[in-house]
Amino acid sequence: MRSTTVNPELFGTRLSFLMSNHDPAQTYPRNPLASLVFFLVMSFSLLGLNACDQRPQVYQQQVLALGTLVDISIYGVDEATAAKAITAVTNKMETIHHNWHAWQPGKLTYINQQLAAGNAVSLNQEQQQLIQTGIELARQSNDLFNPAAGKLIALWGFHSDERPDAPPPAEADISALVSAAAKMSQLTLTGDQLSTVNPAVMIDVGGYAKGYAVDQAIAELRRMGVNNAIINAGGDLRAIGSKAGQPWRIGIRHPRQAGVIAALETHDDESIFTSGDYERYFEYQGQRFHHIIDPRNGRPAQGTSSVTIIEKDASRADAAATAIFIAGPKQWRETARSMGIAEVMLIDTTGTIYMTEAMNQRVHLEVDAQTKTIVAP
Amino acid sequence: MTLADKIVIALALLLLPFLYIEFWGNSSQGEVVQIRSVNDNDVTLPLDQNKRLNITGALGTSIIEIKDRRVRFIHSPCKGKQCVTTGWLNKDGQLAACLPNGVTVQIIGRDQRFDAVNF
Repeated sequence: MRSTTVNPELFGTRLSFLMSNHDPAQTYPRNPLASLVFFLVMSFSLLGLNACDQRPQVYQQQVLALGTLVDISIYGVDEATAAKAITAVTNKMETIHHNWHAWQPGKLTYINQQLAAGNAVSLNQEQQQLIQTGIELARQSNDLFNPAAGKLIALWGFHSDERPDAPPPAEADISALVSAAAKMSQLTLTGDQLSTVNPAVMIDVGGYAKGYAVDQAIAELRRMGVNNAIINAGGDLRAIGSKAGQPWRIGIRHPRQAGVIAALETHDDESIFTSGDYERYFEYQGQRFHHIIDPRNGRPAQGTSSVTIIEKDASRADAAATAIFIAGPKQWRETARSMGIAEVMLIDTTGTIYMTEAMNQRVHLEVDAQTKTIVAP
Repeated sequence: MTLADKIVIALALLLLPFLYIEFWGNSSQGEVVQIRSVNDNDVTLPLDQNKRLNITGALGTSIIEIKDRRVRFIHSPCKGKQCVTTGWLNKDGQLAACLPNGVTVQIIGRDQRFDAVNF
């Protein structure tokens, strides 16, 4: 029998540990076959660890909506519910996109025609809500966020899917529109009737419609019992809940290089929106003209390369990112304060990072030692 | 040393390379290319196997090439060709997209750090 017994000097200690046998005399199996089987079972259960280590199941789908690619991630429901929810929010976003499109004929272009003709136009509930939100956000931003300045955006050629690399608009045309001073505060909503005293007003909800659509999509998800999700509409997102108690992890892409500049984890229900000069632009004679137009001088806002906002509502985050981008490195803090936005990061065109203290608490920057970071209280 | 000891040691040694590959090796959990389309099934392919693919999108066919641990759009039926001018991708998380055709190409590393990327 001696020849077929496992030598206790070789395996005794290890086996007694694994088997938690307190009797030192029985620290290894007597039966050699049993010891082999035991060894194999232990080995393969170790390999099996990998299978148990799988990530929680997140259903993810990419859809074309809002004129961009929208990534929908859903956790915590079965596949059938997730699929149904994805279809529902896609339809929801597409309806909003169609209704509020800045230049394709739809409800908004009709409203603008009536306003330009000096007529009052009746709005349904959704339209009233969106216009009212726009008036309020413009007021809070001292009109840096100005959805009434649609004519300026159109003049710059950004009311088309792809702005050709053609010359920028003539100086005289820009100053004429700046002098016309179209503002959201010139809109009057009496009951369901919208009118304006300034025929230069042309509503363009591009500065907050994406946020509005994301908010509506999240509301739709919640109605369907989905409480853990991310809706990422071409880089601007709202995240609710978590995945199995782990917060959603978000990377903020660097405005000038590949890779991320900062990482953060979401708390329960938050939107993260970024406005960047790299998103839409055209080039003419070596100069680049981006799409975020400063209503004060009618030209692309100077000094900022990107602004990132963390805020509960996506529509507020969207509008604030635009307004603070236009405010620039000198006035960003003031504008954030007047809009009641606590978590702001601005990166200027030289690469310096400006952050509120609240934002500084939230993000882990992934930058080199040369990057200048300024935290404002 | 008994016969059983020898068998156990031999088995343990045999198991070693297997364990090594499983936990540290450059297996299927390495960098992959994820190609997604609104009109086609999503495809995930290893970055280290050269390949050329035709992906059906909203407008037509996008041609994507994987070569020497890099990936790029060769052709897409869009006007702007931004996807093609993006050029080669070779780093974890990099993405090229043809929005008009609804096709995206992204490199996904073994360490998927983020659930979403904001830009």
